[in-house]
Amino acid sequence: MTADERMTKRNAPYDLCDIRIRDASDKELEDISSALSLGLSLDEMKAVKDYFVKEGREATDVELQSLGQAWSEHCCYKSSKPVLKEFVFGIDREDVLSRGDAGVMVFDDDYGYALRVESHNHPSAIEPYGGAATGIGGIVRDVICMGAQPIGLADPLCFGYPDRKGEMPQGIKHPRYLMSGVVSGIRDYGNRIGIPTITGGFFFDESYTGNCLVNVCCLGIVKRKDLLNNFASAPGEVMILFGGRTGRDGIHGVNFASKDITATSEDDSRGAVQLGDPITKEPVIHACLELAQKHLVTGMKDLGGGGLSCVVGEMAIEKGFGADVDLEKVPLKETGLAPWEIWVSESQERMMCTCKPENVDKVMAIFDLWDIIATPVAVTTDTGRTRLFWNGEKIFDMDIEFLTGGPVYNRPYTMPKVSTKADERFPELPALSEVILKLLSDPNVASKEWAIRQYDHEVRAGTVLRPIVGKLNKGGPGDASVLMPVPGRWKGLAAAVGCNPWFTKANPYRGGMASLDEAFRNVVAVGARPNAFTDCLNFGNPEKPERLGEFREAVHGIGDFAKELNIPIPSGNVSLYNEAPGGVHILPTPMIVCCGLIDDVRKAVSADFKKTGSLLFLVGRTADEMGGSLLFRKFGGEGGEVPATDVKRLKDSSDRLLKAMDEGLVLSCHDCSDGGLAVAVAEMCISGDVGAELDLSAMDCPNDNVKLFAESTSRWIAEVDGKDVTRFTEIMGDAATPIGLTKGNALVIKGTDVEIPVEVMRAAWNDPIWNIMGGGAQ
Amino acid sequence: MKAEDVRVCVVRIEGTNCEDEMANAFEMVGAKSEKVHLKQLLGQCDPSLKRSLEDYDILAFPGGFSAGDYVRAGAIFASRIKAGIGKDIRDFVDAGKPVLGVCNGFQILVELGLLPALDGTMSEEPTAALYNNDSGRFECRPSILRNDNRSKCVFTCDIPKGELLYCPSAHGEGKLMSNIPNFVSKLEENDQVVFRYVTPDGGRATYPWNPNGSPGDIAGICNPAGNVMGMMPHPERVMTAYTMDDWTRGHRSEDGDGKRIFTSVMKYLSKK
Repeated sequence: MTADERMTKRNAPYDLCDIRIRDASDKELEDISSALSLGLSLDEMKAVKDYFVKEGREATDVELQSLGQAWSEHCCYKSSKPVLKEFVFGIDREDVLSRGDAGVMVFDDDYGYALRVESHNHPSAIEPYGGAATGIGGIVRDVICMGAQPIGLADPLCFGYPDRKGEMPQGIKHPRYLMSGVVSGIRDYGNRIGIPTITGGFFFDESYTGNCLVNVCCLGIVKRKDLLNNFASAPGEVMILFGGRTGRDGIHGVNFASKDITATSEDDSRGAVQLGDPITKEPVIHACLELAQKHLVTGMKDLGGGGLSCVVGEMAIEKGFGADVDLEKVPLKETGLAPWEIWVSESQERMMCTCKPENVDKVMAIFDLWDIIATPVAVTTDTGRTRLFWNGEKIFDMDIEFLTGGPVYNRPYTMPKVSTKADERFPELPALSEVILKLLSDPNVASKEWAIRQYDHEVRAGTVLRPIVGKLNKGGPGDASVLMPVPGRWKGLAAAVGCNPWFTKANPYRGGMASLDEAFRNVVAVGARPNAFTDCLNFGNPEKPERLGEFREAVHGIGDFAKELNIPIPSGNVSLYNEAPGGVHILPTPMIVCCGLIDDVRKAVSADFKKTGSLLFLVGRTADEMGGSLLFRKFGGEGGEVPATDVKRLKDSSDRLLKAMDEGLVLSCHDCSDGGLAVAVAEMCISGDVGAELDLSAMDCPNDNVKLFAESTSRWIAEVDGKDVTRFTEIMGDAATPIGLTKGNALVIKGTDVEIPVEVMRAAWNDPIWNIMGGGAQ
Repeated sequence: MKAEDVRVCVVRIEGTNCEDEMANAFEMVGAKSEKVHLKQLLGQCDPSLKRSLEDYDILAFPGGFSAGDYVRAGAIFASRIKAGIGKDIRDFVDAGKPVLGVCNGFQILVELGLLPALDGTMSEEPTAALYNNDSGRFECRPSILRNDNRSKCVFTCDIPKGELLYCPSAHGEGKLMSNIPNFVSKLEENDQVVFRYVTPDGGRATYPWNPNGSPGDIAGICNPAGNVMGMMPHPERVMTAYTMDDWTRGHRSEDGDGKRIFTSVMKYLSKK
C-alpha cells in the first residue's frame, strides 16, 4: 500500500488525514515518514507504530507531525545527550538559580542574570537577513520568559572568506553576501528592539563556505523574586498564546536543522525560514516583564523549534500535567491552514504563558495596552496527555511522556587522530615585520569595525567597556565587554566569546579546552571574575563516526575544564549536521560565551596602552605549541603540537592577575590569542596609539618564532606603571615575565630588525574588512 | 520649583526603546519621571491609566524606532500624536515648559513641526527632516559636541558657550536638512543652533566626527523660544563618566558629560 493509500482525508470542515499505521510494513513506515516529511528513521517509526497499536487506534497527521518535531535532533538532542551527560552535566553550584530556557545565575543579593546562546545556522545559510534576525528574536524570547529584561546580545559568526575567489559550490551563496545579510539582520533586529549588541566574533575559514554559522547569545537581568518558571504550576491553569499570528512560515524548521544542507536546500527549505518582526517583539518585552513583576503568570515559554506542538507538552509535563487545546482558537496569518500546520508552525514572535483562571482578565488587559494579540487556547489538566480539539472534535490524544521522551542514541564514534610535534612542518617565513603585518591583516584578526559600528552597542546606557576600546574613533579590539545592568549600582557583568575551531580540528580535546580558556581569559582581562559559561556546540553529522568522535572529545575537554574550575554551564545548545553539499563539513566549532562579575566597574581594565614608559609583562607560560596557529594557517605550516591548557595554573595566574587589577596596578591588559604575543602587543599599540619596545630574552622558549607567534593558552599582556612594578611582581610571582616597555610610536623587538610604526600597523589591521565589505562615508 | 516637584513625562509607543535610560537620567538629577504610553495620553486605555499632559513639567521623547520607522523616521508616531493631542502639546510648549527629543525623539519633534519652527511654536507641516547618514549606514560611534547656543536654550543654560561634551551617536538617519533657503544661517541668527559636531580639539568635524554629514555639522537645535530641543546624540547614555567611551584613559569627574544637559534644565525650572 502506498503512503497515499494509507491516508484518508477526514470528512470534516477542516483539513485532517487519518493514517493507517498499525499494519504498515517497514517499507510502508519509511514511505509514511518520507511522504509527510517527518524526518523519522525506521526504528523511530516502529516505536510510533507500537504506540498506536497499544492505544488501539490509528494515527492522525497532526499526531505524526508532532512526533516528527519532538523527536528531531534539534528538539530532543538524541545523539548529543549521552555525551553531554557523560562530560558536562552536573556542575552544581549554589548560585545557579535556574536551568530553564535560559540559565540564570546569582548577580547580587537582589538580582540574577540570565544567559543563553543558540545557533541559527541553517536558516541563515538560506536567507541570511531573515535567518539572523529571527535568531536574535528567538534567543531574546528565551531570556524574557525567565522574567528577565534582555540587556545584551553577543553574536559569534563563522563564514567562508568574504573575498573568496573562484566558483561557488552549487546552491551555496557567497560568503560576502551571507556576511552582509547576517550583519544587517542582527543590526535591524537588535537595534530596533533596543538591546545592545555588546560583543561577538567573526571566524573565517573555507570550511564555513557551504555552511555558515550564526550563533546568537542574549544576556538578561531579573529580580530574583520575579524569576519565572517555563512551565505550568497546577492543573486548571489557562494557557495564553501571545505575540505574532501563526502562518505557514517556518514549517519543518527543526527537521531542516537536523540534516545536512544540500544543493537544493534553497528550494526545499525556504518555507522553513521564519520571518521576524522586531516591532511586535519590542512591546512583547514590556508586557512580559510587567507580567513577571506583577506575579500574574505561573510560567512562560517561547515558541521555538516545533512551535505549539513542543511548547504545550513541555509546559504541561514538567510537573506531570496534561493539556486540552482548542486549536481553532489560534490566531492565523492566513485562512486555510490545516490543523497539523498550525500545530507545528514556527512562525516568529509567539510565546505562551500559563496563569490562574482568576488572573486571565488582568493578563489580557496588559496585552491590550501594548496592542499585543493574546488568546487563551488551552487549559492544563491532570491527565498527562495532550489532547487537541477542533470546535470540540478531538483530533489528537497522546501521552506526553511518550511524545516528549524521544529516542536516545549511543552512536558509534572513532577517536580523532591528533596533530603533534612529530608531524610538524614549520613554514618558510618572510621578514618578521612582514609576518606581523600579514597576521594583523588576516580577516580573523583584522578590525571588525565594519560590523561593530552598525550595531548599537550602548543602548540602555549600561555599557562600560565596548568591543572597540582605546582612543576615540581610533580604537582597537577589546577583550570582554562590560555592562552595568542595574542603574545606580556599580556592580558589573562582563561577557566574552571564545572559540578556536582550528585547534579543535587538530586536537578536539585541547581545542574544547582552549575555547573555554579564551572566553575565560577575555573576562579576566577586563578585571572580572569568570562566573558561568554558555556554549553552542556546532559540529558535523553525528551519524559519521569521525564527526561524533570530534564532538565527544571536544565536549570532554569542555567538561574537564569547567569541572576543574567549578564553573557551571547553566544553558547551552547543540547544532549538528553542519555539512555542505558533497559532505564538506565545518571545522568543529565549540562556541563559548563566558560571563564574569566585577564588584565595581570603575576598576575595569581596557586593552589599550595608556602611556609611554610603562613596563610590560607576559602573564602565563609559552610553549612550543604551533599546531593550529594563525602563523601556520597563514604561511602554510602543518601539524604541530596543539596548545594544552593547565587548568590549575590558569586558576592560579588569573587569581593573581585579578588581585593586581583590584589593587589598581594594571593600566591595560589584553589576552594573547590568534597570532600570539606579537599580535596582542600590536593590537594594544594600535588602540592606545603608543609604541612598544620588546625584549623577550627572559622568556623560556626555544626560539623567537615560538615566543612571538605560539598561541599557548592562559596568557595575557599587562601594562604596569613603573611605581607599581614591585607590588605587581610580588603578587604575580613567577606567573609574570617582563617583556619590555611602552615607548615611542613604533613596535620595536630587540634582537630583530622589527620596527613598525603604529600607523602602519593600524592601516594593516583596520582596512582589510572595510575594503572587502565596503561602506563608510569617503 | 523644587527638583522633587518636577514631573517628567517620558512618552513611548511600540518601538521606542530608550525610555528606561531617559527616565533614569531625569531621576538622577532629582526629578520624578514616569514612562507614559501614548495611548494613556490619548485616553485609549483603562480609565485608571489615563494621563494628562498638563500634569507634567517636562516632556521627553526618547530614542528608538517608533512604529518601526518603516516610513520616515518618527513620522508615524508624530502623526498619531498630532491627531490626538496636538493642541495639548502646543499649549505645553506655549507655557514655556521644556520638551526634549533625543535621536528618534528629535526626528519626532521635527515631524511634529515643533522644530525648527522658525516662525513660531509649531508649523503645520514639517519644515525639515533628518535624512539618511551620508555613509548610508547606521553609525554607533563616539561624538564630541560643542555648545554653540548663545543663551536661549534651557537645556544648555548651565553649560558655558563653546564647551565640549562627549556624547555617543547611534543612528542611521541624522542628517538635518531643510528646503528653507539659508537654513543654517537662519538657525544661527535665531540662536537656534545648540550643538555642533566637532573634533576632540574643537576643530571642524568631518566624518566620522560628523557621523551623518549634517550641513553645518549640526547635532542639535532648539525652537525660537529655547524650550524645545532636539538632538541626535544620546546624553542620557552618559550620565556617569563610566559609560563614556574612553573613560579608562582618564576622566575629569565621576559625572558623565550628558548629565550637564539634565542639570541645566533642572536649573532653569528651579528659577520658575
